[in-house]
Amino acid sequence: MGGLRLSSDAPDTVLSIRNLGIERAPGFFVVIEELELSAGETIVLDAVSGAGKSTALGLIAGALPLTDLPDMLHLIGGVTVTPDTPRAEFAGPDKLGFVLQTNTLVPYLSLQENIELPVRVAGQVPDAEWQDHLIRAMGLRDLTARKPGQLSVGQRQRASVARALLGQPALLLLDEPVSALDPANVAEVEGLIVHLAAEAGSAVVLASHQAQTGEFADTPRADHRLLDHQGQSYSIFSTAGRAAARVA
Amino acid sequence: MVRIPAMLALRELRHDWQSAMCFVAALAGVLGPLLIILALKNGIIGTMVGRLIEDPSNREILAIGAEQHDAAFFAALGARQDVGFIVPATRSINTSANAVRHEAQRKLERAVPLIPSAAGDPLIDGEAVAPGRVWVSDKLAQDLSVSAGDTVDMIVGREVDGQRENARRDLQVIGVLPPEIWPRPAIFLSLPDLLAVERFRDDLTSNPANWTDPVAEPETYASFRLYARSLEDIGTLSAHLAEQGLQSRPRAENAALLLSFRRNLNILFTAIAALAMFGFWAAMSANLRGMVERQRIIFSLFSMLTMPDRQRCVIPVVQSLALVLGGVIATLIIILPFLMAINATFETAPGESVARLYAGDVFATLVLGAVTAVTAAIWAVFAVRNVEPQEVLTHA
Repeated sequence: MGGLRLSSDAPDTVLSIRNLGIERAPGFFVVIEELELSAGETIVLDAVSGAGKSTALGLIAGALPLTDLPDMLHLIGGVTVTPDTPRAEFAGPDKLGFVLQTNTLVPYLSLQENIELPVRVAGQVPDAEWQDHLIRAMGLRDLTARKPGQLSVGQRQRASVARALLGQPALLLLDEPVSALDPANVAEVEGLIVHLAAEAGSAVVLASHQAQTGEFADTPRADHRLLDHQGQSYSIFSTAGRAAARVA
Repeated sequence: MVRIPAMLALRELRHDWQSAMCFVAALAGVLGPLLIILALKNGIIGTMVGRLIEDPSNREILAIGAEQHDAAFFAALGARQDVGFIVPATRSINTSANAVRHEAQRKLERAVPLIPSAAGDPLIDGEAVAPGRVWVSDKLAQDLSVSAGDTVDMIVGREVDGQRENARRDLQVIGVLPPEIWPRPAIFLSLPDLLAVERFRDDLTSNPANWTDPVAEPETYASFRLYARSLEDIGTLSAHLAEQGLQSRPRAENAALLLSFRRNLNILFTAIAALAMFGFWAAMSANLRGMVERQRIIFSLFSMLTMPDRQRCVIPVVQSLALVLGGVIATLIIILPFLMAINATFETAPGESVARLYAGDVFATLVLGAVTAVTAAIWAVFAVRNVEPQEVLTHA
């Protein structure tokens, strides 16, 4: 994890967000005030549980209904994301990979089919070499024919990572990607994620409350603050004036 | 692009095969009795009542008494849309031969009815009669041991001054009417041949040497053989004859009853089928909607993975079609032996059966099932469209 530089210097901006928010519960808003990432950069959303880290990732992924905020901006890979933008335009497998906290896999597909699904849905053919590399790296080589119900939670989590990375996405969103792993395996899998994301050239946003140690311990954090204003609570994430980490 | 969603739909059914089998069984439970009723309706109405209805004999309107019908009468009647066939006939006293003999077999049948025929006779399926060329009924053919191609000798008698006098004529048999068409002994012959018989009996200038010589057509005929175009036409045709002051009666007095029976049974079956199909449709609709609910998170995941709405909506439609197809196949596998057992239990005439299912019925069931499947999936399709990508992020 070296080569730090300011994301604002990056010529190849992957993600650009300003004033993107949602009312998560009555009177409680989660807002991304500013977030900009270039190819290969990584930022961690680190906040206490319930602060809205997963919600922030959902906002970035364009998967949540937005609250109307002034001067709103949401760009993924140069595509302006609005509620009317077809997801395929900004969230295809080569643009956005998302490792869900729930590690949801399709129960009636094999592990290999699950990994290939986003690419297949996009009407593309997986890069066989890269796919084989991912599956080997994630230690799933002997499990590809199994259904999710025949896998451990940790194996499902690794399969989710492989699924998100198969399309070599410009932007990789990770929601507590190692939360279900044995502590002994956390460092190894985190290292793999960092390594494979770097190989894919992905910018990474990691939501985690357990990244104080391990591979992401030194990765820059987005600012997080809580604000009470006129009876409303705001949980605000921002990278304004901060540097993201450039993955070597 | 429906390949991926269709594959997902079928894989999900295979994965959750127990639920799918339950649904197929439920469909067979509705469809099975329905197809059995349809088969019984086909068997009883289609072959038994249907045979009575389709039997051309039942379309005959019998003239009562002797009248004087001229050429204009026959032309006018023949031009009517409700008339299927008409041919003039002589007085009934002259419509029999004293005897018919098959010399080669040394067999003779007395008092054989003679029935005028012509091209278009609804009872004759083949070459039309002509002078000297006749059809005989199956009963007469058996009694005389004749078949098509044989020649029989018709004998017509009269008494002149107390002396018995017979005239003979060779008739070539060109066909035999099946027993279900005409069960009694009879010869179907041309009008000139019948007129020759009448003339021999009524006209002393006609003698055994010249009785079959061609003569001028009479100005009037005493009777006629008349068939309505269809059973439904009998009523209007009978009414027309009554308006003309002619007495007649339909050969099949219960034709109207048969028609009404068939119509009512069709209505009854259609009503039962409609009710059953509606019940099935509602059950299917609710089941598919339930399947979407059970797979809600997966549909949300598909959306998150950029699968367009139109592709996601293909999934319940394909599942619905597959379940209906499975249900129809399962139903046929179950009921076909059952129908065979019914037919083996109840004795019927050769070629007939109590329960009968046609390929068209199965095809119609598949088409109706497909329509039901697609329409029943509408609720599920709307439900799928309402599944948002965010749901996979937030579910516990």
